[in-house]
Amino acid sequence: MIAAKKRLAIDVGGTFTDIFVFDEETGEIFVTKTSSTPSNPEKGILEGIAKAKISGEEIKVFSHGTTVGTNALIERKLPKTALITTKGFRDVIEIGRGTKEDIWDTYKDKARPYIRRRDRFEVTERTDYRGNILVPVDENEVRELARKLKKRGTESVAVCFINAYVNGENERRVKEILQEELPGVYVCISSEVLPEIFEHERMSTTIINAVLGPIMTTYIHRLEEEMQKRGYKDDILVLHSGGGVMTSSTVPRYAARLASSGIAAGAIASKHIAKLCGYRNAIGLDMGGTSTDISLMYDGDIRITKEWAIEYGYPIGFPSIEILTIGAGGGSLAWIDEGGSLRNGPQSAGASPGPACYGRGGTEPTNSDANLVLGRLSEKLLGGTMELDVAKAEQAVQKIADHFGYSIEEAANAIIEVANANMSDAVRLISVRRGYDPRDFALVAFGGAGPLHGAYLAKELNIPTVIIPPYPGVAAAMGCLLVDVRHDISKTYLRQAEEVTLEELYEEFESMQAEARELLLEEGIPEEQFTLMNFIDLRYQGQWRSLSVPVSQSSSSIEEILELFHKEHEREFAYSDREQKVEIYGLRVTAIGTVPKPEFPKYEPEGTVEDALKGTRKVYFDGEFVTTKIYDRDKIPVETEITGPAIIEQLDTTTVIPPKFSAKVDQYKNIIISVNQS
Amino acid sequence: MGSLQKVVSKQETSLDPVTFEVLKNGFVNLVDQMAEQMLRTCYSFVIYNRDFSCALCDAEGNTVMQGTHDISVHVGTLHLTAKAVLEDFKGDIHPGDVFLVNDPYRGGTHFCDTRVVLPVFYGGKLIAFMQTNGHWADVGGSNPGSFDVKSRDHFGEGIRIPPVRIYSRGEYLSDVVNLLISNMRVPKERLGDLRSQVEAAKVGQRQLLELIDKYGIDTVLTAFKEVQDYVERLTRKKIESLPEGTWETVDYIDMDPELGDGLIPIRVKMEIKDNEIHYDLSGSHPYISCFLNAGYGAALSGLYAGTKTFFPEVPLNSGFYRVVKATLPENSVVNAPEPVAVTGFCSGAFEKIMNACFEIWSEIMPERAIACSFNLEYLLIGGYDRRDASNNYFMWYDWMAGGHGGRIDRDGANATSPVFGVGLSVQPCEGQERLSPVITTKHEIITDSGGPGKYRGGCGVEKGGVLTEVFGGVMSYCCDRSRSITWGIKGGLPSIPQGAVLHPGTDKEQFLGTIFSNIPMKKGDSFTRPSAGGGGLGDPLERDVETVLEDVIDGYVSIERARKDYGVVIREIDRDVDLYEIDYEATEKEREYIRKHRKDWLRVSPYEVEKMYKNGEIDQLDVIRRYGVIMDYTTNQVLVKSTEQYREAMMKRTLAYWD
Repeated sequence: MIAAKKRLAIDVGGTFTDIFVFDEETGEIFVTKTSSTPSNPEKGILEGIAKAKISGEEIKVFSHGTTVGTNALIERKLPKTALITTKGFRDVIEIGRGTKEDIWDTYKDKARPYIRRRDRFEVTERTDYRGNILVPVDENEVRELARKLKKRGTESVAVCFINAYVNGENERRVKEILQEELPGVYVCISSEVLPEIFEHERMSTTIINAVLGPIMTTYIHRLEEEMQKRGYKDDILVLHSGGGVMTSSTVPRYAARLASSGIAAGAIASKHIAKLCGYRNAIGLDMGGTSTDISLMYDGDIRITKEWAIEYGYPIGFPSIEILTIGAGGGSLAWIDEGGSLRNGPQSAGASPGPACYGRGGTEPTNSDANLVLGRLSEKLLGGTMELDVAKAEQAVQKIADHFGYSIEEAANAIIEVANANMSDAVRLISVRRGYDPRDFALVAFGGAGPLHGAYLAKELNIPTVIIPPYPGVAAAMGCLLVDVRHDISKTYLRQAEEVTLEELYEEFESMQAEARELLLEEGIPEEQFTLMNFIDLRYQGQWRSLSVPVSQSSSSIEEILELFHKEHEREFAYSDREQKVEIYGLRVTAIGTVPKPEFPKYEPEGTVEDALKGTRKVYFDGEFVTTKIYDRDKIPVETEITGPAIIEQLDTTTVIPPKFSAKVDQYKNIIISVNQS
Repeated sequence: MGSLQKVVSKQETSLDPVTFEVLKNGFVNLVDQMAEQMLRTCYSFVIYNRDFSCALCDAEGNTVMQGTHDISVHVGTLHLTAKAVLEDFKGDIHPGDVFLVNDPYRGGTHFCDTRVVLPVFYGGKLIAFMQTNGHWADVGGSNPGSFDVKSRDHFGEGIRIPPVRIYSRGEYLSDVVNLLISNMRVPKERLGDLRSQVEAAKVGQRQLLELIDKYGIDTVLTAFKEVQDYVERLTRKKIESLPEGTWETVDYIDMDPELGDGLIPIRVKMEIKDNEIHYDLSGSHPYISCFLNAGYGAALSGLYAGTKTFFPEVPLNSGFYRVVKATLPENSVVNAPEPVAVTGFCSGAFEKIMNACFEIWSEIMPERAIACSFNLEYLLIGGYDRRDASNNYFMWYDWMAGGHGGRIDRDGANATSPVFGVGLSVQPCEGQERLSPVITTKHEIITDSGGPGKYRGGCGVEKGGVLTEVFGGVMSYCCDRSRSITWGIKGGLPSIPQGAVLHPGTDKEQFLGTIFSNIPMKKGDSFTRPSAGGGGLGDPLERDVETVLEDVIDGYVSIERARKDYGVVIREIDRDVDLYEIDYEATEKEREYIRKHRKDWLRVSPYEVEKMYKNGEIDQLDVIRRYGVIMDYTTNQVLVKSTEQYREAMMKRTLAYWD
């Protein structure tokens, strides 16, 4: 019997499947990438495992982030799912809030609902706002409907009744009947999925749960079977958008949280790395080929949002790590609009044809082309296996140069500066706008293109420090290894704060905690590893948005909780009003089942920095080409200082240290750049 | 950005492309930051549902940038407000001052749209204005919500606020604010809105000063000008590629309640010449006896918003307004003077102007064509909430999504917010039920509500309710298009009439029309109303037969109307499993039959049509879509003059395109 000592994380993205293996005994890390196989996602994973040359018996923990749910939703490749609503409300999901994302373009529509109108049914029933049943469920009507659903070959059912967030009795009755009449059909009801006020948001979440439930359950079971064949007997931990993992036993209940399973991983990795480097505040910048994901950690916690969706108009009401995605990446196109302004993105050359320098037929200038022209990118990437075509990059950038009468370097530099400014604006929206001062933060730059831009972005935003983790290209996979089992139980609870006693609150939290404990026990987490946290959503009476404030066991009075709210309001919105009445809006319990996490090793310096020097090349900085040292990251000894200008190259990315910036490689092999603020 | 300053000094009059792009985006970002703050701290549910906008204006009051998610109806009015402040306080504006304005006769829209204007100084010099504009839930007047559909002048509508100073050199003028909010319902919440808007404006101010620190005052001021020049250049460039010429059309408000039968014309003529757009609304009807008139600013906004829809990627600022010009006849329904009531302009003149613009632009840019969309409507129920032994005054203030017009290669959007502002959210019924004793009985898409066409109009929505423990309840409605029914283009047909119904589905059922106020409502009383679908685009007889079948399966179109509107004969085999059959032969015959008679149907005497309707030979959709006849559904009498006007337009928009 082989001792299980390896932690395996696999993050399946749209293009690549990233594999990260950490050997607990030796501290060794192995990373690799394979192409994703969207039509048969397990295939790419199993190939990756083969490439990592590990057997199932060696694996101690297998964490997994996947785009299976995202793809199924976007492509509408969903099981035959029916929606059952209160009579008169089956179109709530199509009407939504009436809005669309692009308010000016009459030819850009909201995506169509996940369940077509023909599959949306109604039953006679009604509950009022206090939870009184005005009209009980008509059993015969429901049985009749069940027979119809059977005839239609329905595989999954979402039930969402008006006011079921206060009383789910009618929904539960319908669920019972459907389970009797339709054995094997997946049924989920809104009062169990997300007992929160507002019918569209709750219905949308319930529907997404219903359409993804069968898909995700089948997928995880199939993967577990394959892994069992290879000798891995344990649960697969699946990453969810809330920044935790769950096991297959809870997937049916929380399938909607897997709608974008992998996106949280980068934010988690960035949090972990920043903490490792001693920072409690960090902005994560994950810049890839077509887009950049930005996240924010404040005082050790990543910002959570309840306003997220895979497609505009179909919200998922579970708390999710707040990620701001913008269309800026290595492949983003630079172009001149009709008013003569230099623009960058959001259109991208994508993987095909890709940037002009890839030599695959692209002719328009991208950020990668500009970086190549400036000498920041090497002509040889991926350890020499990929050659970039400088002439093609120059041809493309020349178009911009011609328009403004610039030299080609000036044009390339302008392209990069506009790209950096766009990303800075996005970072401002998630930081400055929310009352955070970037000067108190570290920027964790990763993804294939993040380390190329990180230093300049930090300077633009007055961020003093940039951290480039050791494996910027597979940071998301690493993030999968760094999470705990996590569930969020929430409910709407509308009361005046002054009318509520602390005892009443704890009573509510107690029953929610009991539910959370049950989930964790079901997942086999030992009780001593539980952490349960209470949160309360508050707002000034008359306001429409609430702020979440933690309620600890030691909170001694309602006043103490309110004081925290006033302070938080002050921080986020620059004012508070202690005279104003405060209203409770909702309660949430976050339950964490701590799972042991890898401890990354610290390294001792080996060799000298000269060993890492690959040579020099001319790189464009501040208006001129400067002879710049090029380093091989793998060979730079830890605790080495490097002063800019310098370029540090590695298999999956290139780090730029501009002139007058200095960098240090720490004991964990992170590159820490000190930003020159002058 | 070390290289920027160098380049700036090299090109004195013009910014280098990077600085320009960075500052342009920086201005957008700044305005969006103000918007975000407002959304998160406001007290008015109307603002929360996104009826608000923000702007950065220069020292002359010109708009440098408006927000990306601003509601259409405020477009092109914010600079007028800033200029009104300048006009009244010129030479007397100081650092730390803040002004408040809601005056529709000074470039505002209606009283509820209350604007905070914060002057920004640098080095002792006025350099900009930050403006935050939100629809306050109430600004006083005789009716809750400050909507009195019957008012003829503004004195009873709500408090009119010409430019007024509310902070003087940093000192809060509580007496002035008190005077204002004491005239409003729930003054404490209005104070919350005011505070939210002032703080949001300060967010913008802070961000602007940071940009100045970084780029220098001269660069930023140059960017103010150049961003406007850029939008002007961009717009002119786009117009340059279009043919010169003159286009015109007419859309109608239903009626002047005092005049009775007769649609109220809004005539829109547009000329493209020398890379400029000039609108002329001469010939539009004199202002009418209810509050559907538009003031100057609001009408202008309709023209800007209607034009902007065809140039979605052009950012909004005063550069755009330099290219789009307008003549608005005085004392007309599109330029009503004070003190004529204009609060309902959004349901009245405004959306007519927008849809008329859409029709004209659909001719010029057929690839972006769109038929008429449903009309904005507001239903208000006020009274005392006597649930749980309480006695609080409540306001159930509701608006709906509806169908948008058919497009050149696809159907119109179903159930979308009005063109007045597609960013405006409809409210959740569950929230409303907590706050008021009104239970929503349905909120659903209406079968057959989309105007037939080769590309069908989007479907409208029906929302109805019943009152529970209420005392002293009254219901009012601000709506339109029960007569000037949402129309099709390029051969497409109209959708359905709007208007509210009391006691639906009972023998007391009563059609109340589109404008009424203070109808008494008591416990158990029920009501409903539809929003129209969009008008169709193209000949419905050319609609793909299989697509009609799909619509039938989804219940967007009934089997009956599939036959009558599209000439498609469908037989139901097993509805339970969506099994239907198209009778292709019968379809061909039906289409032939309709093609042969449809032009004549539009010429049948209205009285004859009224008779057939009363006899039950034809139904309401036949009256409208087949015969083009307009009736008063409160009395079921034909409206001869309105029919004549409506048919004339239908001949031009629809019949002319039939072979």
